[in-house]
Amino acid sequence: MKCKPGLALIVLAAFPATAIAQTTETGTVAVEGQVRPVCVLGDPNPALVNLGQLSANSGPRTGRIAVIAPRTVTLPASYCNFAGSVVSVTATALTSNDTSAPQPGFARAVNYTASASNWASGTSTATTAALRDGTVPTASGFGATQPLPKIADITLTLSSFTAPGDLILVAGNYSGTVVVTLGPAAFPNEDN
Amino acid sequence: MRRQAAIFSALLAALALPGSALAAEAPASGDTDSATVGIIGTVPAMCFGGTLTGDGTFDLGVLVDLTTGQLRTDLSAPNKLLVGSFCTSRSSITVSATPLEAQNYTAAAPNGFSRVVHYQASAAGWTALPATYNTGAASNAAATQSRSTAFTGDITVAISNFSTAGGASLRLVGDPSYRGVVTVTLAAVN
Repeated sequence: MKCKPGLALIVLAAFPATAIAQTTETGTVAVEGQVRPVCVLGDPNPALVNLGQLSANSGPRTGRIAVIAPRTVTLPASYCNFAGSVVSVTATALTSNDTSAPQPGFARAVNYTASASNWASGTSTATTAALRDGTVPTASGFGATQPLPKIADITLTLSSFTAPGDLILVAGNYSGTVVVTLGPAAFPNEDN
Repeated sequence: MRRQAAIFSALLAALALPGSALAAEAPASGDTDSATVGIIGTVPAMCFGGTLTGDGTFDLGVLVDLTTGQLRTDLSAPNKLLVGSFCTSRSSITVSATPLEAQNYTAAAPNGFSRVVHYQASAAGWTALPATYNTGAASNAAATQSRSTAFTGDITVAISNFSTAGGASLRLVGDPSYRGVVTVTLAAVN
């Protein structure tokens, strides 16, 4: 009998949780999620820039590249949801659908400058430098890093249209492209 | 115990700051978006005849041998150049000419006389064979020559092979002005 009080103490010590559950208590459950870094460019407007006739019709520059006014393309509501993004521009010179080597005195390429603005300070600019036979048509460039998440209309300006050597342009349909890329700042350097 | 505490702390930090953990990673390539803008334009087929050197006139001087009254056999005139001619596509060159005719003596020439001098005009430098036109010929198949590529260069225009209309024995009627015209035409071919 002398042992009974000692046994009772042991039982109490073995079920302390049962005793606590019967009182008010607070528990914590962690809630977690992720937001992936995303950049989205708005659809270019217009998606196709028609420069019309590229060569002068009359005057001393007949047959050579005409004065072509700059063109503007808007990529509305473009955004990156993270800090440290950059716009890069890859421009490809306009070249003639006639792929044969041009005769001396002629060129089958039109160079230009593509410049994207309204993302970070300054612009992202690429100026093509195709040769008169249309080779080496592509140029790339990127601008400053945007230090904050941002949403904005990016403006792409096409300007400074020239022909290699200011030569006479061969007849034909000419086409080129500009690829605008929005991504993390490290992205443009990956190709370098 | 110290080691267990360190593991627990790292786990806690990962749970509490998932955003920071992601930001420290290099963003994946899917975080990049691209858009392509097309640019088009046209260059029409066109030709420019060039700039004619000199005053635009072949000056032959006196046409007749003063002792015989008949056409001189040594007539010549310096060639003319059409400088900087070009076509931006394949093209054809055509030369045509009108005979030298007395401009004042317009009536029919009397027997033994003529008031017309024929010649051959040519345009060289554009095609492998020059375009030629003889004002006295019934037809001039070589008057038009074709070129399959765009070209720019100088065209040499020449006149030669003079002959009296009606025969070499005829004498030319007196007139202070005999005149003809040579026309060179470049045409783009689509």
